[in-house]
Amino acid sequence: MEAVVKNLERTTELLAVSQTEMVQRWDKQTLDRAFQWTGYCEHVYTRFRANPNVRDVLEKQLQVTNERLRTTFQGYTDITFSDLSRCRHLLLVGLLNNAAVPSSVIQLLFDTSCSRNVGDTSKESLGHCTELIEVKSACKVLSAIYLKRSTSFPGPDADVIGTTLMEILDILLSPATGGSKVGLAEKLLDNILQTCGENENFSGVVAAALLSRKNNKTATTMASEGVSLDFILDWLQQHHSVLQHMCSTLPIGLLMNLYQQSVRFRVTYRDMLKQWGSQLEYDMGEGEWVQMYTTNGVSFKTLSDHYRSLLGACPSMKEDVESELTELKVADGDFDVRGLSVWGDLLSELNKV
Amino acid sequence: MGFRHIRLRSRGKLSVVTLQRRTFSDCEFQHNIQSSTTETMRTVPFVGQFLGRLCWNPYVTADAESRSLLLQSLWSLYSEEPHNAVERKANQWIRNLLCQLATEEEDSATHMLVKHMGLPPKEYNLKVLRKMVWLLVEEVGESCSSLADPNQRCSCDSVLAASVACVPLVTCPETAPLIGALLQRPVTCDKAALSQHFLDAVTSAYSRKCVSLEAQAVVSLWCHNLASLEGAVMSLLDSVLSNPASIPHNLEHTITHSLLPKACSQHGSIFLIVNDIFRSMLVQVEGNQTVLYLIHTFTLCFLRELAALQPQECVSLKAFFPHTPQSLLDPLLTHPSEMAQEAWPEHLAWITASLQRLTEEEEEEEGNRGQCGVFEAWFLLVQCADWVEVASQLLVSARPQDCGPLLWLLTFYHHPTNREHHRTQQLVAAREVWDHLRSLFLLSAPPLPADRLQSLAELMSAVPQQPSLDSLLVVSLLVNFAVFSHNPLSGAGEIVRMVVQQSGLVREAVCVLDMVELRLNREGSSSSLTDRVKPRARALQGTLTHMAQHDTHTLTHMAQHDTHTLTHMVQHDTDTQPLWQRWDTHTAAPGCSTNQTL
Repeated sequence: MEAVVKNLERTTELLAVSQTEMVQRWDKQTLDRAFQWTGYCEHVYTRFRANPNVRDVLEKQLQVTNERLRTTFQGYTDITFSDLSRCRHLLLVGLLNNAAVPSSVIQLLFDTSCSRNVGDTSKESLGHCTELIEVKSACKVLSAIYLKRSTSFPGPDADVIGTTLMEILDILLSPATGGSKVGLAEKLLDNILQTCGENENFSGVVAAALLSRKNNKTATTMASEGVSLDFILDWLQQHHSVLQHMCSTLPIGLLMNLYQQSVRFRVTYRDMLKQWGSQLEYDMGEGEWVQMYTTNGVSFKTLSDHYRSLLGACPSMKEDVESELTELKVADGDFDVRGLSVWGDLLSELNKV
Repeated sequence: MGFRHIRLRSRGKLSVVTLQRRTFSDCEFQHNIQSSTTETMRTVPFVGQFLGRLCWNPYVTADAESRSLLLQSLWSLYSEEPHNAVERKANQWIRNLLCQLATEEEDSATHMLVKHMGLPPKEYNLKVLRKMVWLLVEEVGESCSSLADPNQRCSCDSVLAASVACVPLVTCPETAPLIGALLQRPVTCDKAALSQHFLDAVTSAYSRKCVSLEAQAVVSLWCHNLASLEGAVMSLLDSVLSNPASIPHNLEHTITHSLLPKACSQHGSIFLIVNDIFRSMLVQVEGNQTVLYLIHTFTLCFLRELAALQPQECVSLKAFFPHTPQSLLDPLLTHPSEMAQEAWPEHLAWITASLQRLTEEEEEEEGNRGQCGVFEAWFLLVQCADWVEVASQLLVSARPQDCGPLLWLLTFYHHPTNREHHRTQQLVAAREVWDHLRSLFLLSAPPLPADRLQSLAELMSAVPQQPSLDSLLVVSLLVNFAVFSHNPLSGAGEIVRMVVQQSGLVREAVCVLDMVELRLNREGSSSSLTDRVKPRARALQGTLTHMAQHDTHTLTHMAQHDTHTLTHMVQHDTDTQPLWQRWDTHTAAPGCSTNQTL
């Protein structure tokens, strides 16, 4: 532990120095060593992110170091524990923005001579920036190719974030890390929601997270899979408006995928559909079922679309769904006249096709 | 269009520097180097803007070559010691540009999310790229949907567009799966052709070894693009022929590594094309030992790949060898190891009889149609040269009354054409050689008869005027006698050493010995014969290699001569029309044209 603390301290100093004039004397070896140290910090982050005790200790140490360095270096920006996850990036930004760095060092970073193989994440500094540029340009080129599936929702960036989210939740909630860190996990999801704000990103990320198990061939035991999934669904239940927004805006195909994959989701989803149905009122003038009271409900047409896909996607549950609708219709009086029960009208709509 | 400008600009600066280097002294030279950025900015003021725009064009920055060129240009504008405001500003601009390129985060919302996840930006971008590639690979792998439902518009033209867009990504290692998927997509509808530009880009990247494609993708590339196949065959020939010292040990490895045998076994048309190139090679570079061994080893690798294919994919061998008469095909393609050694003489007699019949028939026939059959038969013999080596081995222990067919076979192998009916004389010469060797190895007492050695060496040296026997034939017989005879090893080694030294054919002898050893290893089963023979071969190998080291002068001379001839051939047009120049000098052989339709 002592060693880790000391190393972190040294690396923080290194980061501070890299932004000053002292880098004039840097050469290839110094650069490589700097890369190694920052890589080490990233590793420390990954190792201890789910362990609040160690995290607190390290955070405190970092604060002490920050105070010390603030007095020594002008314009110093503090380093927190979560900053350690992108330590190398911080080093890079510091160096590239620092005019005092010798051009030979910059040339090393942008070197174009080395060739690498697929999957070889090089820890070396040589050509680091060139690889970055290559990857980013390749992403841009590929995103311009419009093929059916690649433009589907959620996009690859949301997918990557969602998959990472699930991985983190797995770690946080697994019993192996000494008790579940439900609090941390909740805080994480709250943070994400806050960051995304009102836009679509959040739904995409969560959907991607929930679906990530489907494509993940190296999934751990069934138990831990279920735990993270259930956790997200629980959290969504508590943030009901978010859940509603998700279900109404996500493509129906995606919802069907989720439905087929998770038993918990089925219950949640069908409850949501029932809620939507109960919010509809029959408008005599129009002769249609409309939303009278709430602004963020769905139309009758959308509701029937949802139910139709539901019946189509899961033939085994078809009878279940139909009997549920019938029950609701019976509870409403079991009339066959249009306009009296939303459930009856739904049933007749569904049976029409 | 843009890049020509860059090349002109950097070339322009280089020529300024070179000119000045010739005329000015050191300090003035340094002064001129430094002022050249200012010069450039004065003469070509828009260069900064132009380069800056290029940096933000992903099609330029994704491709390895253009990216390196771009960065090179930027660095050449950078001045180590700026002398004026223009240069300082240029430096600052370059540094800012590079910083932005590497660290810019486009979408702030995504950026925050990534930060919350604790993902370093580089790793995040890499994962996104991999995901995109994965999605596209899945989609490209779907076959044309119009097969199932003719009314539905198929997405094949968007695949074509995708291939055009992927041209700059050919060298990126992460996108290799996508390139492979595009190449291997089944071509079922006429809209699904890949762009020629894309195929050319992949071909050139593959020949420069800048792209890592899996074996099946390479085979598909060759199916799409004839030029890439020809390029691959040429580069195989080049690598084999420019390094004759490594033959034949690495030959099999080099051939298998080129993936050509695998491609040939999957697509008969590829095999036919490769053979056409080999035929042209043989005709233009007659009697080259390396080429003969190459063709033989290639065919062995090919047959092995063919045998390893799934049974339902197997095509009858006739499809791969359409020009040879069936009567020759089966006996020659049967490998010696597939039958008992006792059956070899009879089998060889049968092969020889068929070949003799064929040559006699076609010599009787007037005109040019005749020569083709003989050439094809001889080519097949070259491909299945194991039987020739078996014949050499059997000649060691054959009785005088049995040696006829075996000698005929050997003579035919080394002298396929019967120009001016020299074959009878060649047969006589071959018999003479065989007699000499027999007396040397089997009958003589320890003091070696010098006169016999002398006459043997004379037979091996080239005498251009007379119809002499090919020296390779004699060397091959010599080596076989040394290895397979029951003579004490020291005596055999001494004979070989003296004869080879006098005639100067050390490298050829080493090659023949290597091939004998390889054949014995291939036959695998250890019998009393192989147990006795292998140590002899190894000892001889030692003697000859020792001699070869003293004889490097001859070796390099030989290598250079061969490479020169072959490079000359390589640079010629590699049309599928072979040139039967040597066969019948009077008329061409139109019936022999091997135009294959794919």
